[in-house]
Amino acid sequence: MPPAAPTECETEVKLGPEGLARVVLTGRLSARTVVDCWDKLEQSLRAARVKSLEVDVSGVDFCGGAGFALLRYLNMGRMTPGAAVSVVGLAAEFQSIFEGFTAQDYEAFHPQDQQQSHALVEEAGHATRQIIEDLQDQAHFLEGVASSLPASLMNRKAMRWPEVRHVFELAGANAVPIVSLVSLLLGFIIAFESAQRLAEFGAQLYVANTITIVMVREMGPLMTAILLAGRSASAFAAEIGTMKVNEELNALETLGLAPIGFLVMPRIMAGVLVAPLLTCYSILMGMAGGVLVMLGLGFSLMLILRQMVSSVHLNDLAVGIAKGVVFGIIVSAVGCWRGLQTQQGPSAVGLSTTRAVVTSLLFIIIADACFSTITYFLKS
Amino acid sequence: MNEPDDIVISVKDLSIGYGKRVILEGVNFQVRRGEIFVILGESGCGKSTLMKTMIGLYPPQLGEVWLEGSNLATARGGERLRLLRKFGVMYQSGALFGSMTVLENVRLPLDEFTDLPEQLKELVALSKLKLVGLGGAANKMPSELSGGMQKRAAIARAMALDPGILFLDEPSAGLDPITSAGIDLLVSGLAHHFGITFVIVSHELASIYAIADRVIMVDCQARGIIAEGAPAALRDAADPWVHRFFNREADPSHSIQPT
Repeated sequence: MPPAAPTECETEVKLGPEGLARVVLTGRLSARTVVDCWDKLEQSLRAARVKSLEVDVSGVDFCGGAGFALLRYLNMGRMTPGAAVSVVGLAAEFQSIFEGFTAQDYEAFHPQDQQQSHALVEEAGHATRQIIEDLQDQAHFLEGVASSLPASLMNRKAMRWPEVRHVFELAGANAVPIVSLVSLLLGFIIAFESAQRLAEFGAQLYVANTITIVMVREMGPLMTAILLAGRSASAFAAEIGTMKVNEELNALETLGLAPIGFLVMPRIMAGVLVAPLLTCYSILMGMAGGVLVMLGLGFSLMLILRQMVSSVHLNDLAVGIAKGVVFGIIVSAVGCWRGLQTQQGPSAVGLSTTRAVVTSLLFIIIADACFSTITYFLKS
Repeated sequence: MNEPDDIVISVKDLSIGYGKRVILEGVNFQVRRGEIFVILGESGCGKSTLMKTMIGLYPPQLGEVWLEGSNLATARGGERLRLLRKFGVMYQSGALFGSMTVLENVRLPLDEFTDLPEQLKELVALSKLKLVGLGGAANKMPSELSGGMQKRAAIARAMALDPGILFLDEPSAGLDPITSAGIDLLVSGLAHHFGITFVIVSHELASIYAIADRVIMVDCQARGIIAEGAPAALRDAADPWVHRFFNREADPSHSIQPT
């Protein structure tokens, strides 16, 4: 039988009469060895009714932070409630460290259990107040944008056109590949789905009408707006949020440059310009997807194109482009607004980004519903 | 590798940089057990990069860093983890985890690397915080602390597992003189009472004179160490640049000439 490995820390517990107890610790009290000591002491002392405890550490040759914590825990009587405890034999170099943290320090510093439960009414009130504050902030932001708008449009120097071009490129040109792919596949999907149903009536030719109307009036603007919200609203919020955290917005203010005029207006302008263009492009790509499906179904290209052109009116195209403009304003304005709302802290920018995307999508859907309602009543 | 017992860090022919760009090359020095060793130099000369290479965050371009007889750059798995436990690091910004309280920050290494009971983990963390004078801030979030307090809390976290070596990146940067002096006092107290070896990156002269046992000075143009020794001795260095640095004298070419 191989010899047992030498124990680095020995714990001896002697329980005497009338609640007297003596603990002898020897060896190294490190984070690793203290765990065994703790288990032995728990087993021996918790059950015993100790009135007086003496902890002899004269045999301890190393005491780390965990060792001191164990000695302090024993000394505070936490393992032997109500007992008088003394720690004896501590080496001179350890004594001052041991005395550096007392039971009073523990009572003063350790976290108290906090009652965190809130009544439902309180939670509802808190949420309502947050919504109201959010709306007030939104109104304040819109007021700032409205007051900056005339100067930005009238005065060529007030609008930072190089910044508009830069944002236009980032939000627009760089989004072309993803818009192409998503729109093409969307047209593909809509065409296939409608082809199955219309085949039952022998009306597969009308797939061209369906895809055109759906893409021009609804899916083109909506899909472009969703992609812009995911790419650009989040980017605007993160960029402006990081600038706020780094006090760059304060620097702008003290230089006499309003953040809304300097940062927000160029982004809104870029959004207004880029969204309708991307919308038109998305419509064309969606229709291309439909054309591919119809070619596969055996229709000639000329027939498909004639059917597509005849199914859409200028009004429909105007509605689609108008939606693009409005969605562009929503995406860029909401992204900037959420960025300006960024608070301090490591998760603040991430939170602003998430809120920018969620709020953009919400406002886009609300605006789309408004468009549908208005166009319905205008037609009827 | 066999080194004398009192050598805890040995840097041999080290070259550091980013990509193909070399910042420092052929760097050699040793850090002795229990000393307060300061790496200094002008801004942007690679002090922090040197420290981050020493702690294994950046791989060396050439050369080796030996930590208590083991090469951290080539260590893998359990061996690397064992070496990482030998030192603690305080980063320039404190790098406290913003979503945790100060106490939770200090407790984190204990939670991850020890099997200590919860009661003892809390006691260890609180005693470390008391040691750096932040006992009362245990339940605060890092964002509620001042810059100096964040650095102290970061030192407490670095000390949680009782490492023998502490690396501090610019501990006095951006602090007022009183807070800065408080950090100096803390560092010299920890070195004196706990025998901790300190490797400090700094260019705060007052702090260097107050606490450093030995310094090395790195230079961008020379791409290496241009001076080594006790701070008081370097005050009288023959090299004009070192002399100017340690006596806080401006480069005459930087003065504005009225036209």
